[in-house]
Amino acid sequence: MKNPSEEQRSMQEEKGVSRRAFLRGAGLTTAGTVALSTGLLSFKLESPVKPPAVLGPGEVAVRFVLNGQEREIWVEPRTTLAQALREHLSLTGTKVVCDRGSCSACTVWLDGKPVNSCMALAVDVAGREITTVEGLSQSGTLHPVQEAFIEHDATMCGFCTPGMVMSCAALLNRNPNPSLEDVKSATSGNLCRCGTYPKVFEATLAAAKKMKK
Amino acid sequence: MNRFEYVQAPSVKEAIDMMNSTVPEALIKKATSPAYVVKAGGTDLLDLIKEGLVEPARLIDLSKIPGLDKLTYDNKAGLQFGPLVTIAGLENSEEVKKNYRALHESAAHAATPQLRNMATMGGNLMQRPRCWYFRSSEHKCRKKGGFTCYAQIGQNQYHGIFNTNVCPCVHPSSLATALLAFDGQVELTGPQGRRIVPLSEFFLSSEENVTQETVAESKEIITNIILPPVDASTRSAFVKMGQRESYDWSIADVAVVLKMDGKRCRDARIVFGAASSVPLRREDAEALLKGKPVTEKLAMEAATKAVEGATPLKHNGYKVKLFENLTKRVIMQAVAVG
Amino acid sequence: MANPNNKKALETQKLKLPFGIPGHNLTEIEREAAADEPPALPINEKLSVVGQRVKRVDALQKVTGAAKYTADIQLPGMLYGWFLHSPYPHARIKSLDVSAARKYPGVFGVIVQGHEAEQKDSFGGNELPLLRYAGQPVAAVAAESVAIAKEAVRLIRAEYEPMPFVVQLDEARKPGAPLVYEETIEDKGNAGDVGVKAADEQKGNLRGPTTRSFAGGPRGDMEKGFAEADVIVEQEYRTQVQTHCCLETHGLLADWKQDMLTVYASTQSTKDVRDELAELFALPTSKVRVITEFMGGGFGSKFGPGYMGVAATWLSKLSGRPVKLMLGREAEQISAGNRPNSHQFLKVGAKKDGTLTAVSLLSYGTAGIGLGAGVGRVAQDMYVCPNFKMEQYDVFTHAGPGAAFRAPGNVQGAFAMESLIDELAEKLDMDPLALRDKIDASEIRGVQRKQGAEKFGWKRKKAGSDPGPVKRGIGVAQATWPRFVEMDSSVMVRINKGGSVEVMSGVQDIGTGTKTILAQVVAEELGLKAEDITVKIGDTTYPDALGSGGSMTAEAITPAGRNAAYQARLKFASHLAAAWGVDAETIEMKNGEVLSSSDASKKMTFAEATKHMPTSQVLATASRSANYNGFESGQWLGHGRLGAVQFAEVSVDTETGFVKVERVVAAHSCGRPINPMQVESQINGGVIMGVGYALYEDRIMDLNTGHHINTGLDTYKLPHAREIPQIETHIIEHYDAHSSTDASGIGEPANIATAAAIANAVYNAIGVRIYELPITPQKVLAALGSI
Repeated sequence: MKNPSEEQRSMQEEKGVSRRAFLRGAGLTTAGTVALSTGLLSFKLESPVKPPAVLGPGEVAVRFVLNGQEREIWVEPRTTLAQALREHLSLTGTKVVCDRGSCSACTVWLDGKPVNSCMALAVDVAGREITTVEGLSQSGTLHPVQEAFIEHDATMCGFCTPGMVMSCAALLNRNPNPSLEDVKSATSGNLCRCGTYPKVFEATLAAAKKMKK
Repeated sequence: MNRFEYVQAPSVKEAIDMMNSTVPEALIKKATSPAYVVKAGGTDLLDLIKEGLVEPARLIDLSKIPGLDKLTYDNKAGLQFGPLVTIAGLENSEEVKKNYRALHESAAHAATPQLRNMATMGGNLMQRPRCWYFRSSEHKCRKKGGFTCYAQIGQNQYHGIFNTNVCPCVHPSSLATALLAFDGQVELTGPQGRRIVPLSEFFLSSEENVTQETVAESKEIITNIILPPVDASTRSAFVKMGQRESYDWSIADVAVVLKMDGKRCRDARIVFGAASSVPLRREDAEALLKGKPVTEKLAMEAATKAVEGATPLKHNGYKVKLFENLTKRVIMQAVAVG
Repeated sequence: MANPNNKKALETQKLKLPFGIPGHNLTEIEREAAADEPPALPINEKLSVVGQRVKRVDALQKVTGAAKYTADIQLPGMLYGWFLHSPYPHARIKSLDVSAARKYPGVFGVIVQGHEAEQKDSFGGNELPLLRYAGQPVAAVAAESVAIAKEAVRLIRAEYEPMPFVVQLDEARKPGAPLVYEETIEDKGNAGDVGVKAADEQKGNLRGPTTRSFAGGPRGDMEKGFAEADVIVEQEYRTQVQTHCCLETHGLLADWKQDMLTVYASTQSTKDVRDELAELFALPTSKVRVITEFMGGGFGSKFGPGYMGVAATWLSKLSGRPVKLMLGREAEQISAGNRPNSHQFLKVGAKKDGTLTAVSLLSYGTAGIGLGAGVGRVAQDMYVCPNFKMEQYDVFTHAGPGAAFRAPGNVQGAFAMESLIDELAEKLDMDPLALRDKIDASEIRGVQRKQGAEKFGWKRKKAGSDPGPVKRGIGVAQATWPRFVEMDSSVMVRINKGGSVEVMSGVQDIGTGTKTILAQVVAEELGLKAEDITVKIGDTTYPDALGSGGSMTAEAITPAGRNAAYQARLKFASHLAAAWGVDAETIEMKNGEVLSSSDASKKMTFAEATKHMPTSQVLATASRSANYNGFESGQWLGHGRLGAVQFAEVSVDTETGFVKVERVVAAHSCGRPINPMQVESQINGGVIMGVGYALYEDRIMDLNTGHHINTGLDTYKLPHAREIPQIETHIIEHYDAHSSTDASGIGEPANIATAAAIANAVYNAIGVRIYELPITPQKVLAALGSI
């Protein structure tokens, strides 16, 4: 996808939606807010000094950390994170199958946690850290889960594989000693139609063992 | 998805200032005026927008408002958590696991790990039903302002078995089942300030209002969810049955919270999920348990009482038996938790 | 299909080939084969690459996300397509106005189905086809983004005149039901050769009966057969519509250029896509190139370009830009194929000792607006019975068309037949395995039954005898699938100076592991490792090969691969022999080395040896030759049967009706297994698909509006991680001396027996039989009389 024309950019500047303004909004470190307490919880009831920026519906800048690198893209607010990755950043390892959060083929890590990139807006992840399957094996070294998937034949057509890999690798990040039940639980949202599940379980348990060594 | 504007609300006040509709209102008035609606995790709202059921002009993102993602437990104040606490956050909370077992179980069996990481508790309580006719843009059903309920005359194997006259959609949240069993409350904040609404009043049945599921008004958002404290006598259990054990919507779920004096039940709350348009308390069944030692036989009697008055539809009569058997099981599980 | 290699080779040779089952009855058999066929390949244990658990050669690309599927490909200036689908199950279009869509900014092409070349703004009702199912494509738009294309589709103004419709099998076959077709439709080759024939009668929505399949027609005397029976079992079975649910939806990217149409297709057959597009667009096949490097699942539904592919090609031709048109999930579920449902009346007569005296089958099934709902081959073919008759009817309904789906017909048929055999065994007071020993003539299934039963620990208790609410049960069922072969399959092998080796073919890898087994047979022949071979397939630039279906691919492509490697090796060896001054026949290639058995000083690495080639490349193209003598059929249908026996253990919660498949032992054979690890994966896949079919999957139609209402992957329920039983595969090597590799496929046989085995296990658990799939909690509770 191309960047918006200069004309569009200047329109956004006029509306007070400069890139800078947006990024500040995303960080929400604007001074002048007061935390109020209600019960045991507190949240900000007061207004910040500046009204929040209304973005879009045209393309707006979003900056985030993608696979360890800071990236900026221009997308419409309606663009999902999955679309942004696939169509704007050409990272097509992340797959879209159901586009509704029912299959987890689009799993990426958001601040280290697996989420469905089809059910998040790209603008939602401004300022956050995203890891895709392409980022799992940086500088040529495969993640042990990826190695084990190859070793144990946990791929067939391969369309669910990136999502499976991301689910299983996330599991090992938080639980280095998983049981078969844990692996099933971690992949319970991932749909595979070819039937790689048994080998996915086997591979993930093998990867866990290998990582402990 | 339609094109929309996007604003990150820096505070609750600003979110309230900017919003003009709840999602149900936005659906009904879709064509007439631009809707400004709030989103948190977005997992339900994006689904509705993708189907073209809601076409908001502006999304007001609540997810960055500081302070709304806290969870605390206190012996006196009970459990309080903000609307931005995710289902995973609830599932992983040691306080919840220890004190509100049924709630923990309901969180652990909701949706998928990915969705639990994204979906917030505020959104969970505000989500729209999963009825396949409601979710289909081709079927203008009563919930969408139409005059026909396609489920009553059509495929209703997963629909409600109680109060099915107007719209047999079932409430989609199995967490709500547990929250109501713990006698939870919701804090709503609007232009006039805050109000506390017990969950028993928060949800609107389809008889009360078929086009929206909660009492939240056009400019109100959930700002806190509160459960009373538990004590040493509290026992709870929850069970959900879907067609699959992995990711699935509930066919039937039941939460039970008991106060036990030894083997004797002092107080009981039994709630059915996926049985009606709201999480449904079974007070007659609760009454049967109160003041008696809980035996398998008594549990079965209470279970049978709990399904009294069911009015199943053509394809979902099996759910009556299912609820009955699950209820007995959950009561016995709660007692066994010890 | 005629066999291109059918002409008798001028010279032949006699080959002594392994024959039988190692550890059971392995021997050798002499076959006559063409003189240029490679020597006999010993059994797997004597080989170094073939028969080994070789890692999938493209797994690295898959686990890193580097693999590019059709859905992933982006070309400069590419447009995206989207469809307008019919909102009614049966309607006339009174008028259609696409002018607003055409004018919408970002739109570069609009076509109306059947009128693609007519770039008009409006169409009158009499010009447009009748709409016969909700979701049928009406028009398509190409735009700069999917979002714009969707917006433009919404601007198309269509006026419909809804008509009466019928979406239910039972209703559709009643007299007076709304008609799907007024006239007898042309049989457009129902994929999988199940169901109706062109000559069959069409009356109302009924087409048929078909009384034959490629396994033959009726036989014997039914009256006599049933009269001779001591026991007759007669039951009615129903199976549901199952959708393929390919993770990558159907679609392709068409790039129409003046000199060449290049197509990236998510297909099971590059050749079919090329040939159909060439024919439709009046292009020579040489001007159409189809590429399928990776594809995300087909299961029988992805042959040919499909309506979406034709639309993409039109839109590319008209716009002059590449157009990618991938179906959305809803359209995928509705319109891209399904396994037809069935309603079967099966009657079997038997003597006291189990001998079958008669089998009769009456079946109805709907493939929606399509054909191909026959189910009879299992009843016809699995067991010995002199008297057999079937009547199979296709029933039209206003629903999306069926398509071939992993063992078309046999999955439905096996559920009924294998459930009934289980019931017969009980009536005869025989163990189900003992009954099958009596009536099943298949030698391989006999071995599978015996070895499978041992592995499983087969010991069946009385049905429903477990105490407590959760009851366990076990069941067994069998599969039969023909051992097909497609002769029109060629492979090129190229040895490059420097030692690299390429294998090239039009054949595609749909996830089964075709790339890897090609690498293996070529590596074995050249004394290399599989990873030394670069596999380039899925491109019609390379020699033509078969579509991946019918469990034919391994059977067809590995001999072609081995033969090509053998021919290339002969050429390479002759060059070396000349350089070394030795006899070419003394040259051996093994362990990455080349040597002469007559001169110990002549030994070097393969790479080193290639420097002696006079040209930079030595290459050879070879085809799958006819089956070795005694088998040649002159048809694509080969000889032989692929059998399978599967054992299942389930638990059934009688209070909730919840069924869980705990364990499956799957005993299979596929000739020579080239890669046992991949064979295991294929069997796992078949079993899991069978679990879904048995317990969860069901396309649900709304009877009032005619819409398919569970198009989401949350409401169309597929097995996920927690639904996966412990699966133990048992692969039996089975040499049949068919070809230079003697390999066969496994995809289909793996999927046939599972649902029946589960159904039989459910019966054993609860003592009540369920005659309709899927076995849901609702049906279990109903069967138990709880509701």
